[in-house]
Amino acid sequence: MNPATEPLLAWPAEGVTRAPYRVMSDLEIYRLEQERIFRGPVWHYLCLEAEIPEPGAFRTTMIGETPVIVARNKDGAVHAFVNRCAHKGAMLCLEARGKRQAFTCVYHAWTYDLTGALRSVAFQKGVNGKGGMPPDFQLADHGLEPVRSVAFEGLIFGTFSEAAPPFEEYLGPAMVAQIRRVFHKPVEVLGYFHQVMHNNWKLYMENSRDPYHATILHAFYTTFKLNRLTMEGGITLEHGGWHSMNFSKGATMRQGEYEGTGIRSVVEGIGLADPSLLESRQEFADGITVAIQSIFPTCVHQQIYNTLALRQVVPQGPFQAELHWTVFGYKDDDAGLRNMRLKQANLIGPAGFVSMEDGSVGEYVQRGIAGTGTDSNAVIEMGGREIASTTASRATEATIRGFWTGYRTLMGF
Amino acid sequence: MTASILNDTLRRQIEDLHTRYIRTIDDDRLEEWPALFTETCLYKITTRENYDQGLPLAVMECRSRGMLVDRVTGLRRINVYEPQRYSHQVSGLTVEQIDERTASCRSNYLVVRTTGDGSMILFSAGIYLDRIVLQDGCTLFAERVVVADSRRIETLLAIPL
Ligand code: FES
Ligand SMILES: [Fe+2]
Repeated sequence: MNPATEPLLAWPAEGVTRAPYRVMSDLEIYRLEQERIFRGPVWHYLCLEAEIPEPGAFRTTMIGETPVIVARNKDGAVHAFVNRCAHKGAMLCLEARGKRQAFTCVYHAWTYDLTGALRSVAFQKGVNGKGGMPPDFQLADHGLEPVRSVAFEGLIFGTFSEAAPPFEEYLGPAMVAQIRRVFHKPVEVLGYFHQVMHNNWKLYMENSRDPYHATILHAFYTTFKLNRLTMEGGITLEHGGWHSMNFSKGATMRQGEYEGTGIRSVVEGIGLADPSLLESRQEFADGITVAIQSIFPTCVHQQIYNTLALRQVVPQGPFQAELHWTVFGYKDDDAGLRNMRLKQANLIGPAGFVSMEDGSVGEYVQRGIAGTGTDSNAVIEMGGREIASTTASRATEATIRGFWTGYRTLMGF
Repeated sequence: MTASILNDTLRRQIEDLHTRYIRTIDDDRLEEWPALFTETCLYKITTRENYDQGLPLAVMECRSRGMLVDRVTGLRRINVYEPQRYSHQVSGLTVEQIDERTASCRSNYLVVRTTGDGSMILFSAGIYLDRIVLQDGCTLFAERVVVADSRRIETLLAIPL
């Protein structure tokens, strides 16, 4: 067999009810992901429009391993481009955010405008008529590599691919509806978390979509009845399961199922010394109190009671990923609600009562699967083998099978 | 101008409070940690990134002693995390006396975290911004704001800084 034409990986015959552990550690597969997923025909979350409110405002972000700048031009239009000087490749902008008239590279002072077009080259005509660029050098040929971007309901997404479908079509109606549900009025950023996880980026994507683990691993959820599988809820899938949402309605809990099962997630006889942590306000008429939306490949949009956030997963090699949280509220929050959001932020982020475990559980998997052979796979059969939306039960891994469906399609596995 | 002359006894009591704070955490006597704060205290961990931009989000924010107690309950009985220990190094304490029973303090901290398998990392470095009050002859934190220099947190932050 010719090694050049042999696929990197043969997916198990069972299909997406199995995921080979090798995809979590293989360097060649990781490199191929950068090309086929991060430069592939999908949309990547970049930032919020609220972060670049006025002309000249910019924010740096990532698409996979590629650093990206998102800037608002003088005419108000949003532009995204790679944060890499077209001369010798130096990173152009080192700040996380700010305001600029133009981007000037520190190395040799090539200067770009807010659309990413090259406007000037230092000593282009040389010095004393000697040196300089060749006479046929055209500024127009050396702009920053553009990223196609779209602003949708206050969120900005980008793609390198001309083949990415129109954004709303890519999301599908249910995912569009969930974004509209939350982004129905102007938002304001309350702050950021950045969390380094020592696991492959896909382990976090699986975790974020996994309604099965949520009320088992996260005992805080279950103990304080914030989220249980005995509440009304469901999973909603779009685009063949590439995107998913799982949700629950806090007010609808039935007793039973957890009690007496020995699942460690219900800690008996426990109370909060300061129960004000769990005070919340019903903000949405549909009664949904927890909604975790995962947009393929690496964007997570969450509502956990009154905490609202976007999470962006940034791969940093096969064994590390960084989670970027942007936590927000609404511009018109009254003081009481704002206060509640900030207090409930104790539930989320790297120190969150609910979410701290997610920073480490991927690492437990990564450590557990070290040394596995090429025929070792994860078993993903909870809720059957199909990939479909349901409100019947959240004891399912259909959302994860959906992720692997998208992954296999793009990777050609 | 009594406010500008730091009472020696108060200074000693403040240093002592800092030492007891380190001991309760580094010796894993977390149950004793809330007692170092006033009933209506503020304990907050934020990052330089959020702090400098005036963004209110905190990594951890306890607005009462009860919330500190709840953090300890979480660590002991609810949350799941790998066994770990901190080693605090605190230095550069400055004390500004506000009135007879209140001082505003600042110090630098550095925390090394060691996990069960022996890996040891420089987990966090930054500053403590404190308001310390004298209550019934004891110094207590009325406010401790931890500003971490790095915006990044490795894996998770379970034990308070
Ligand atoms: S690398 Fe940017 S100007 Fe030379
Ligand atoms: Fe989780």
